[in-house]
Amino acid sequence: MLATQALRVHRRRVGRLRVAVTPIPGLRSVVALLALEAGQWSEPDGRPGIARLVAQSLLRGTERHDAAGWAAALDDLGAVARMDVGSHAAILSGQALASDLPAYLALAADAVLRPALAPIELEIVRTQTIAALEEESRDTRGVADRVWRELAYPQRHPFRTRPLGDEGVVKAATADDLRAFHRREILGRGGVLVLAGGIDADEGLAAAEAAFGAWPAADTPPERRVAAAAISALQRRDEVVPDKTQTDVILGWLGLPRSDPRFVAARVTNMVFAADTFASRAGKVVRDELGLAYYIFSTVAATKGQGPWVVRMGVNPKNVETAITTTVAELRKVLTGDFPADDLALAQDKLVGELQVALESPAGIAGMILEAELFGLGDDHLARYPDQLRAVTKEEVAEMARSFLPSDRYALATAGPPLAG
Amino acid sequence: MATQVAPPRLADAPITRRLDNGLVVYAASARHAPVATIWVWYHVGGRNEVPGTTGMSHFLEHMLFKGTPAHPKGDLDRLLARYGALWNAFTNEDVTCYFETVPKERLPVALELEADRMRNALVSLEEVEAERTVIVSEREGLENDPSFLLGEELQAVAFSRHPYGQGVIGSKDDIKLMTRDGLYAHYRRFYAPSNAYVVVVGDDEDEALLEHAAAAFGPLEAGEPAPAVRSPEPPQHGEKRLVVRRAGGALPLVQVGFKAPAATDPAAPALQALAAALAGVSGGAQEAASGRSSRLYRALVTSGLATEVDASFGLNKDPYLFWIEATLRPDGDHAAVERRILEETDRMARELVPDEEFARVRRQLLAGSAYPSDTVTGRAYRLGQLLATGAATSIAEWHERLASVTAEDVRGAAAATFVERSRTVGWFVPER
Repeated sequence: MLATQALRVHRRRVGRLRVAVTPIPGLRSVVALLALEAGQWSEPDGRPGIARLVAQSLLRGTERHDAAGWAAALDDLGAVARMDVGSHAAILSGQALASDLPAYLALAADAVLRPALAPIELEIVRTQTIAALEEESRDTRGVADRVWRELAYPQRHPFRTRPLGDEGVVKAATADDLRAFHRREILGRGGVLVLAGGIDADEGLAAAEAAFGAWPAADTPPERRVAAAAISALQRRDEVVPDKTQTDVILGWLGLPRSDPRFVAARVTNMVFAADTFASRAGKVVRDELGLAYYIFSTVAATKGQGPWVVRMGVNPKNVETAITTTVAELRKVLTGDFPADDLALAQDKLVGELQVALESPAGIAGMILEAELFGLGDDHLARYPDQLRAVTKEEVAEMARSFLPSDRYALATAGPPLAG
Repeated sequence: MATQVAPPRLADAPITRRLDNGLVVYAASARHAPVATIWVWYHVGGRNEVPGTTGMSHFLEHMLFKGTPAHPKGDLDRLLARYGALWNAFTNEDVTCYFETVPKERLPVALELEADRMRNALVSLEEVEAERTVIVSEREGLENDPSFLLGEELQAVAFSRHPYGQGVIGSKDDIKLMTRDGLYAHYRRFYAPSNAYVVVVGDDEDEALLEHAAAAFGPLEAGEPAPAVRSPEPPQHGEKRLVVRRAGGALPLVQVGFKAPAATDPAAPALQALAAALAGVSGGAQEAASGRSSRLYRALVTSGLATEVDASFGLNKDPYLFWIEATLRPDGDHAAVERRILEETDRMARELVPDEEFARVRRQLLAGSAYPSDTVTGRAYRLGQLLATGAATSIAEWHERLASVTAEDVRGAAAATFVERSRTVGWFVPER
């Protein structure tokens, strides 16, 4: 029996949270992942950047503590925490000593349920965000990502903009805008809390109940409706970023929701094609055989809707065309089924093996459970998942590639020094 | 009131054995997951290089993935991929390190792969040429980052003699001119049991882990002792300053590097506490919520002068730098930020940190050092890092030393370190 199948997950509904606890005997700390379903997908139409402004402002004071007091209370515990906003969720990732878990969750709940969202703190977040947008405008990876999204997604699609958002929206946002988003999308929608580490299940559930049990009443907002998007032809834009030596390249397509039954096959297809610099076809040829790039890898986003399914690489400007051509040539082999059966076996072995290796860390375990809980994959997901990965056939890989990764219809963005020719 | 941070359990103390060939093996049991990790540390890095061959240790690290007679190129990658392994390598100023975290039943294979490439790497001319462009690409990726550009310049200015001034990845010219024979000589000189040690942590009895490692590495020949590094940095007698003006960055940066002692210095734990007092323990990214009670965060970020700030004292074999870096707002004032940084460092040198604040710093330091040890990979890395630099012989010993730091130790460390004559100040000025 695989170890992932032996994981014990204890679940309970607490307020608007679905709580999952996995005890790991012998550890001193607990990882707490709190995913609020208030990412880009939940942003009001035409207001990209609001989700991140709200999420960052949650950590800047509450009705009980001012910003300095809340920060000092967190540091008093020696807990570490950060807030990241992505396509479908704002995730507060924390780690505390097991004995401090109740105190840490009380602070987290205070921030999430009773934030002050004070105008003075919004100004700090606004200043930081505008600085980050400015920084991204000279960062080749940031520019390539921005351009790729603009090519791949239509106007008003939630993923057309990066989570940092639009500068105009960030500059215009008011504290009232933030409060409205908080009430509607965070209090109204709730999310998932996963605890993994050196606690027993009852302790973890009791700490979650004590912290989040008194969830304020709020209406559940309707799910955002997003029309299906498509890339109808090869779209390319080369952006010059001054004073750089390397070009960052993003080549990609629109993916599929994590809840789609074909997503497991998509993950295997991604691994066969380009997910890993060493184990996948594109990396092996582009980096290992031709020495064209230091890094090349692909990701298929596990999210709501059509997330990015992209290959990223860093290449000297004179090698950009060869690297792109080579990557597309490897893709053609995948979608025609012209690859050894062992490439599929290798991809499956790697994906299954990674599940066992992820058990070494509470963050690894919490991450696996979070995905299952967030996308409603079922209480027995971790028990079934290795077999699902193993069941994907070569024909399914080729079919997934033909359906989602057409070699003549993709969006291609480059950012860096001027390209030759 | 927060509870005490429990010291590491006895199981954190590794057992150790020196093999007949000189290789030292450290083994520790970690039973919470069915995995094992092996880390091989070689005492070779940027400090073992001379001008003209900068980046050689890092280049060689890449070549160790290009095959041996027993495991031709691609073998290692595919084997480890099949196991779902977490694996990589890195080179820093002091060491080159290779690691694999694998399902525990695969540990013997990982050990055999590492033992094999310790003495049998091919380093062929053809592969050196293919990898050269990859390493140039790695360097060019770093050059796209203003923080790297300023840091590299600051390091070069701060050290007049010691090879720490050369950094790790090497100059682009040196990378382009690196020869296969030079790389192979470097390999034979430094990759030997007598110049390395192995850390194994995993889901087995520590004795069994140690026996597995001894069986894999024991048959190797010892090799010649590696030459010692003899380039002590002479004392610095006044502040050094530099400015980097480039269009490649949007945000101004201020970096300050104070000369700081080696990891073996008795003040090393107090210097780590000092860094925590100044900027917390989890880095200065905007997304981080921890560390906001720190001195520099309040002075620079809360006040609106900067958007991010970080401070660090790394563990190194030879005296290195205590780093402070602030990222300014787009219209930020370098001089004002530098002034605030130096006001805070002066204050740390003059005044004791009040009890309540010191308790908070101590808590962050101890808890922050406990978290990585809750992963098998993190525990092995932490132990290996302490051993590499001579900071401590176990995680428990280092924890004890951190726990015994007093506010007066921190003030004393600040007074000895934060002096005008031993600092180097760098500004990154974005050009439009």
